[in-house]
Amino acid sequence: MVAATPLDTTTEVVTPENIAFEYQLAGPFRRLPAYLLDVMVYTCALLLLILIAILIGFASSSMLAVSIWGFIALVIWFVLGWFYGALCETFFNGRTIGKWACGLRVISIDGRPLSGMQATIRNLLRVADMAPYAALGQWEFEMAPIMNIPTALVGLIAVIATKRMQRLGDLAAGTMVVVDEKSWRLPVAKVDDARVPALASFFPGDYRVTPTMARTLAAYAERRSYLTPSRRREIARHLTDPLIDRFEFRHDIDPDLLLYALYFKTFLEADQNEAVALGALAGFSPLRKDQQPTDSGETS
Amino acid sequence: MNVAALVEKRRTQWAELERMCDGVGTPRDVARFAALYRAACADLALATAYQLPPGTVTYLHRLVGRAHSRLYRSKRFDPASWGRVIFHDAPQQIFSDPCVRIAAILFFGLFSLSAYIAYNEEMFPNYVGSILGTAQVEQMEDSFSNGLSGNFSQYIGMAGFYIQHNTGIGLRCFAFGILLIPCLYVLCTNAAVLGASFGYMARDGVQGGDTFCEFVTAHGPFELTAIALSAGAGLRLGIGLIRTEGLTRLASLKVNALKSVPIMVAAAVLFVLAAFTEGFISPSPLYYPIKAGWAIMSSGLMMFYFVVLGFPRKGQL
Repeated sequence: MVAATPLDTTTEVVTPENIAFEYQLAGPFRRLPAYLLDVMVYTCALLLLILIAILIGFASSSMLAVSIWGFIALVIWFVLGWFYGALCETFFNGRTIGKWACGLRVISIDGRPLSGMQATIRNLLRVADMAPYAALGQWEFEMAPIMNIPTALVGLIAVIATKRMQRLGDLAAGTMVVVDEKSWRLPVAKVDDARVPALASFFPGDYRVTPTMARTLAAYAERRSYLTPSRRREIARHLTDPLIDRFEFRHDIDPDLLLYALYFKTFLEADQNEAVALGALAGFSPLRKDQQPTDSGETS
Repeated sequence: MNVAALVEKRRTQWAELERMCDGVGTPRDVARFAALYRAACADLALATAYQLPPGTVTYLHRLVGRAHSRLYRSKRFDPASWGRVIFHDAPQQIFSDPCVRIAAILFFGLFSLSAYIAYNEEMFPNYVGSILGTAQVEQMEDSFSNGLSGNFSQYIGMAGFYIQHNTGIGLRCFAFGILLIPCLYVLCTNAAVLGASFGYMARDGVQGGDTFCEFVTAHGPFELTAIALSAGAGLRLGIGLIRTEGLTRLASLKVNALKSVPIMVAAAVLFVLAAFTEGFISPSPLYYPIKAGWAIMSSGLMMFYFVVLGFPRKGQL
């Protein structure tokens, strides 16, 4: 059977250890804040630079020192403006300061880290991705255009249209931007309902959960806390109706509780032979054959 | 099987690996990191067999991803290879690249045409005004009417400005190459504007005309060639998208991007050389033949660079 590729923004990478793992691709809404942060960072660096240059200019009386500092400031401005991204991504392993703050990383499309050459290409071509530029007074002949505002439509369309969400610079360099989040909770849901182990002890010993069923159970247990009780029952009923017949349980059993117990049995139960302490629930049985004949007419 | 117990057992190692992703210190830590990384890889491979919950699998994917990018680091710039790029790859590529030729012919052709039209006042009286604008023409005349003068501190400041400004234009032209049309537009606009300025200032009786010619002599060869080269590098990028030569469009784009970078590096070097010339030699009150000699020498150097270093070596045809 061919596994259906998931309909989400993940991409698979095969490591030299021959393990295939998935990266989540970063779309425009994750990349924009990172880029804006980067712009802020190097604008602040430039302002600081200008401030220092002015201070030195006031402090030193010689014209020569001032112009040498001006020269250095201009060259740094040039290098920062054009190569900030390339330098950061090369030396911080695919991250600029903005990407680091937003949990993004640039890697080659084959999963390896990017080289200095790739970082340079993708950052130089940003100018083309920012096109077309909208300028105030663009269509007036009398005044010169002031303020070039990048609309980034080219880059946006490229990101939307490509499989790995690459802008033109990424396409030329063979890189992609992935989410590289620092920490991730490790969810194994805790079961604190006393009825769950009790119900789980009534499952037949020969019932084995299939892998797809196990995945479904885990997803259900993770998400059931976001659902209202009636919604839980509505969703769970699709799976539990055949199970109730198979286990010969009563028909008025709560479908949500049944699925939750199945989850407990699959993932959490320590030892299957251990007797469950039923407590107040002792004497209760979900099985159809233990049901009182008097209330069978009402529930079935 | 109790998955919770299994996860709990492995969790300490995962947490340790996660901590180590932030920074690895001693050699012992490095060895431990590699072992933990392989263990996490194995856990991920067995995730289906263990029937791990999807959340845990996602966690493992991210953990292995982070450890992977920690283990395999990015390749830094190798300064030793720069010499090879500048003195071997770039001239070879420039010599054999039709895009560079097209850009050069287009640029110098338009430049000459524009200069001729601007010079020929009787036939095209309105050309200069419509290309440059009257305000800019007046400003140009003003700035050159007082002759060349300056001191060292002015020169160095201007050199910095030229590096920042002119190389920026070149890089912009290169980047727009991937869209093809904007690159050609920038190239043609520059050719027309520069040609018009040269032609206008070369007219008889224009204020500051002689000073202008003296000013542009020294840095002209470097600067004009650098503009043509950066446009050629840009065209290489854009042509790569169209003329794929049997590759997929993306693979062709990548191959052409790698080819275009040495050309752009050479162009950037020329821009910097032009900036220093423009900053120090052009505005100085040096004896004119020295400036002319510098221009001839720089043209000769570039000829040597493009032709002698760029001529296809044996076995590379």
